Amino acid sequence: MRTFLSPTRLLLNFAVLLMAFFILGPILWLAAHAFVSGWQYPNLYPSGFTLSWWSKVFVDSALKTAIKNSLILSPLVVLLSMVICLPAAYAAGRMNYWGRKIFMIGIFSANSFPKIGLFAAIATLYYTLNLMGTFVGVMIIQLLGTIIYMTWIPAAAFAAVPRNLEEAARDAGASKFRVFRTITLRLAMPGILVAIVMSFLASFDEAQGSYLVGAPSIYTMPTEMYSLVQNYPIQVAAVFSILLALPSVLLLGLARKHIMGGQLADGFQLK
Amino acid sequence: MKGARLSILGLTLSLPPLILVLVFVGLPIVIGFTFSLGFTKGPNRIISIIGQQIHVKDHWWGTFAAYSDVFHDSRFLGDLGLTLFVTLLSTILVILMGLAISIYQRLIRSKQASILVTLAIVPLFVPVVISAWAIHTFYGGDGFLRSFFSQFGINFPTLTSTSSAIVIGSVWTSLPFAILMISSGMQGIPDALIDAAKDCGAPIIRIVSHILIPLAKTPIIIAASFTAIGILGSFTIPLFLGPNQPTMLGVEISNFFGSYNRPQQSLVMAFIVFMAASGIAILYVWSNVKSAKESGRI
Repeated sequence: MRTFLSPTRLLLNFAVLLMAFFILGPILWLAAHAFVSGWQYPNLYPSGFTLSWWSKVFVDSALKTAIKNSLILSPLVVLLSMVICLPAAYAAGRMNYWGRKIFMIGIFSANSFPKIGLFAAIATLYYTLNLMGTFVGVMIIQLLGTIIYMTWIPAAAFAAVPRNLEEAARDAGASKFRVFRTITLRLAMPGILVAIVMSFLASFDEAQGSYLVGAPSIYTMPTEMYSLVQNYPIQVAAVFSILLALPSVLLLGLARKHIMGGQLADGFQLK
Repeated sequence: MKGARLSILGLTLSLPPLILVLVFVGLPIVIGFTFSLGFTKGPNRIISIIGQQIHVKDHWWGTFAAYSDVFHDSRFLGDLGLTLFVTLLSTILVILMGLAISIYQRLIRSKQASILVTLAIVPLFVPVVISAWAIHTFYGGDGFLRSFFSQFGINFPTLTSTSSAIVIGSVWTSLPFAILMISSGMQGIPDALIDAAKDCGAPIIRIVSHILIPLAKTPIIIAASFTAIGILGSFTIPLFLGPNQPTMLGVEISNFFGSYNRPQQSLVMAFIVFMAASGIAILYVWSNVKSAKESGRI
């Protein structure tokens, strides 16, 4: 019966096709522009193929600066976020202290304010603190976006480590530090990894806050896109898009198993 | 005694992120709120010098002049309407798609189901500036859709710069998180429950409405509230995809702050969006606490 094309199966295949068109269509359409010399409406085929747009991106100093800024900022932000948040995540996952729930909800509500409004409020304060248009100012903006990932997801991962494994290791004579390193940390690693990837992307892809606070003196790759799409041919934007998407695709590819395995979803449920 | 020592350690460990959030989220919001009420001294001094059309408080508690500016601006009411409409419609579409795919994946393990889930996760891999621009070109005047249909002599409408394009973009970018939340909730439902209902002859619709949806209620509400809050405050998607007027409040807040140099009115709009979002956030917290209580975790 399964080999026949029943109406339900046809309908399902149609749904899959429609979804593929909806999700992949725009990306493929833009990506294709990185390799064409021109593409006029209403032609379905480009007028020719070329790689010349790629050299344009690597020669342009503004674009190069944006790439450099992004590659310095994001790893720094993630590192800082780990130092600030991971101890708190461990505490929230393993200790039942007074105020733990308020802490988790507080971190969450900080994230539930609409971003652009928050950035306008922060910018108001930045004028007074002299942080407008500075590297540190942009760094703090991006750091704020990583906190929810770096606390909630590792907290859930630490909480899920079975206590009896740790106790067994202690009974066998392992030191506290050894137990933490070889059991607790190792078992919580997938969650921490997902948090690192999500934080990196949150920082690397952050555009609106970095633009409001950083422009016109500090541009990152995503904020450069705002002016890029207005001032350059679509092909240059396409090349830049591929470069900008590369880290996300690589990192998420690495962590895909854990993200789809529920580490991300588990991380956002209050425990 | 041990509990007390631990609690001090726990509190100390949670201080760094808490201080960061208090200083750079809590404080700006409080200060920004006083600024919206016309407090132009202290931390608001410099912004009050830079900005235009600043209202200064005339009562001890401030003034509502900036609020009145905003509410008497016919543009704002159009923006607010569009923002609420786009948020509501996109959230409904995202949750319906998320439910359909997750339920299908839970009941029937087929190749199509896993392809659908994988496809829905793809936008997670794409920075929002790129997806907005890709959708802009795809549905634009010389985009693929119009080129494709013109081969058959059909003049397909240009969707870019309409509210439909904002909805398309919002759904596109919000889908992965909703799918991940809902499908992980559905996967957690034991097979035994579904099999038992099947054995008793329950039709699929009844299994969905009486077992799958109620048991995955918390992740569904989390997905819905995250989606709605995200869309409510979105900036890049409506900037690239929406019409110039009316536009979503995220874009207008940024315009008022930057281009128009009217920071006070910009913050007033931000607080109106905050109010809408906190209503949604309360729903999230309430649902989360309720489910934690039901399972005896607190």
